[in-house]
Amino acid sequence: MRYAPAILVGRIVRVLARWRKPGGGSAVPGLVVNTIAPGFLARTLNGFPGGLVIVTGSSGKSTTTKMLVAALRAHGLGVFTNESTANISQGLTSALLEQASLAGRISGDVAVLEMDEGHGALISGSLKPRVVALTNVMVDQIDRFHDSEMVAAMLGKIASRATGTVVVNADDQYLVDLASRLEGAVAVSRYGVSSDVLAANPRGLGYSVTADHRLPSADGMLLTAVDGRDATVLVDGTSHAMGLPARGTHYAVDALTALCAAQAVLGERFDPVVSVAAISAIPPVFGRGEIVTVRGRKVEFVLVQNPASFQLNVDSLAAGTDQILVAIGSDVRDPSYFWPVDTSGLGRVLFASGSKAQEIALQLSYDDVIIDRIESDLGRALDEFLALPDPRIGLKTIIFSADSMRRTRAHLGLVSNMAGRE
Amino acid sequence: MMRPLSIVSVLPELLGTNGDAANARVLAQRARWAGVDAEITPVRTAADLPEQIDLVVIGSGSDTELTAVRDILATMTERLRGWCTAGIPILAIGTGWELLSWGIELGDGTVVEGLGIVTGRAVPLAERATDDLILDSRFGRLVGFENHARDYVGAEASALGRVRSGTGNGPIPGGGTGVEGLVMGNLFGTHLHGPVLARNPVLADHLLRTALARAGVEYVPGDRAVAVDEIAKAGRNQIAARLGLTAE
Ligand SMILES: [Zn+2]
Repeated sequence: MRYAPAILVGRIVRVLARWRKPGGGSAVPGLVVNTIAPGFLARTLNGFPGGLVIVTGSSGKSTTTKMLVAALRAHGLGVFTNESTANISQGLTSALLEQASLAGRISGDVAVLEMDEGHGALISGSLKPRVVALTNVMVDQIDRFHDSEMVAAMLGKIASRATGTVVVNADDQYLVDLASRLEGAVAVSRYGVSSDVLAANPRGLGYSVTADHRLPSADGMLLTAVDGRDATVLVDGTSHAMGLPARGTHYAVDALTALCAAQAVLGERFDPVVSVAAISAIPPVFGRGEIVTVRGRKVEFVLVQNPASFQLNVDSLAAGTDQILVAIGSDVRDPSYFWPVDTSGLGRVLFASGSKAQEIALQLSYDDVIIDRIESDLGRALDEFLALPDPRIGLKTIIFSADSMRRTRAHLGLVSNMAGRE
Repeated sequence: MMRPLSIVSVLPELLGTNGDAANARVLAQRARWAGVDAEITPVRTAADLPEQIDLVVIGSGSDTELTAVRDILATMTERLRGWCTAGIPILAIGTGWELLSWGIELGDGTVVEGLGIVTGRAVPLAERATDDLILDSRFGRLVGFENHARDYVGAEASALGRVRSGTGNGPIPGGGTGVEGLVMGNLFGTHLHGPVLARNPVLADHLLRTALARAGVEYVPGDRAVAVDEIAKAGRNQIAARLGLTAE
């Protein structure tokens, strides 16, 4: 019962935080508990019978985590996970508080955590994950992480804590190098795309450095085809058809990462058919290519979090899509880093919006994209955009940064992931 | 002008960290909007350098690549010197500018020798400067974003402008407002990174006007540029207002 007082205090603070600000205050109770009982987080996370699994990397970690959790649950495992995207230590502790007994134990077989690469390196010293799954190295937050080496070093620090298996993307040269340094100390599982899949993405997959050679099918799991929301994966010589929560190669790679991690966690119990079915059944993620009906109109939401996902999303839009709204918000501190993206494929944009409306409009203009209106007031832009009759080609498409996504969701009253889903 | 305007983008992958290489695209578009055909040549080794060069853009890169980038640039030292002497406009941003200087002092005390084309050198800042940067220059107000770990010393006599908000070349001893950037003939060095020429078309047009004048062509911004520049102006004013400065 050594943590009981801290857990009780944390729960009281949580109630108070919610009372002050409904739906908010998720990190505060964790902060309190971490101060009163600093060992709580690590001891609880290390205490799951099936061990701790960490998913980290520059991009795709939250989708991968959801897919991995679905695959493990489909095998009958009880999984603790940080679904609230509270991926810092206080947030994690708060999430644990929701479910911990006063002895600091949580029911469940395994913990699967999405971890931000920066915070992961900070708190991973005390954690002993059995499996660490690494997605990729991209320079996606220039203000915080200045270069790829820094990101790779942080991922290396997390991976070095693994006691069982490190799961790596064999198309990402930084992760290939990282894995070769781990070889011998820990098992390494590899996944990658086929040369056909890479060839279908002429600009690459957004990794800082793409490996020169593709993974041979004998050496790991392969993604062999992607067509819209359908993908084909090759696992131990057998092809499986898989459905994706959204269009695009990056979601297929996320699914492959989850499959490879599921095999590492489950070992002999891993069933690719069960895993593929579970991943295929995942509903579309809000704001990541999800199609919803709002005010009687079908709308596709596309979230761009870094230059690579921006480019992939521009490239994968249906040609001639004639109703597009682009909104970039205050989460993008310096929009300079979007400028390597070639946005010319958008052709025409009806609204440029968000607090960085001028900046994105400027970039679109230099790419010869026609902009009908610049409207910094996102609510007004959304209202007028949705009021337009249905488009002639494609769906009404809203491309937004994370901050604009939150504002869009609030403005349209889409409170949960389920609201307005088809 | 019979041939297209020739714009060189130096090491667009290694020196394009914050979208700096986009400035070549901005120059080419503005030239086209003015009715002048333009071509961008990405230069990765000296062998890629085209016969005719009218404008040069050098961006900023990662510190881990400093020496490797310097070694490639060093093979073009004589060409760079020649362009400077000939008055070919050059825009050099961040580490791209630093590498043209006498040298770069790193935090651990080591020095990366520069090409020695411009005066001054880069020395470590106490704290990384990552913020909006606004300066008053002879072209008017320039607005952008800076993200650098070093001061630039020795450019005081020939700065691009005086800092209104931000760090620029760094704090000056004894206090007071510092300066930002360096101007040497038609070479412009600055910490204003990313699409600085799109955000500040007055600087883009100065470079274009200079380049075209050398070929005996008068530059008049196109209608499209005039419209797009209104967007840039609104963006600059938004940042200025946030920092408590008056609108242009
Ligand atoms: Zn850096």
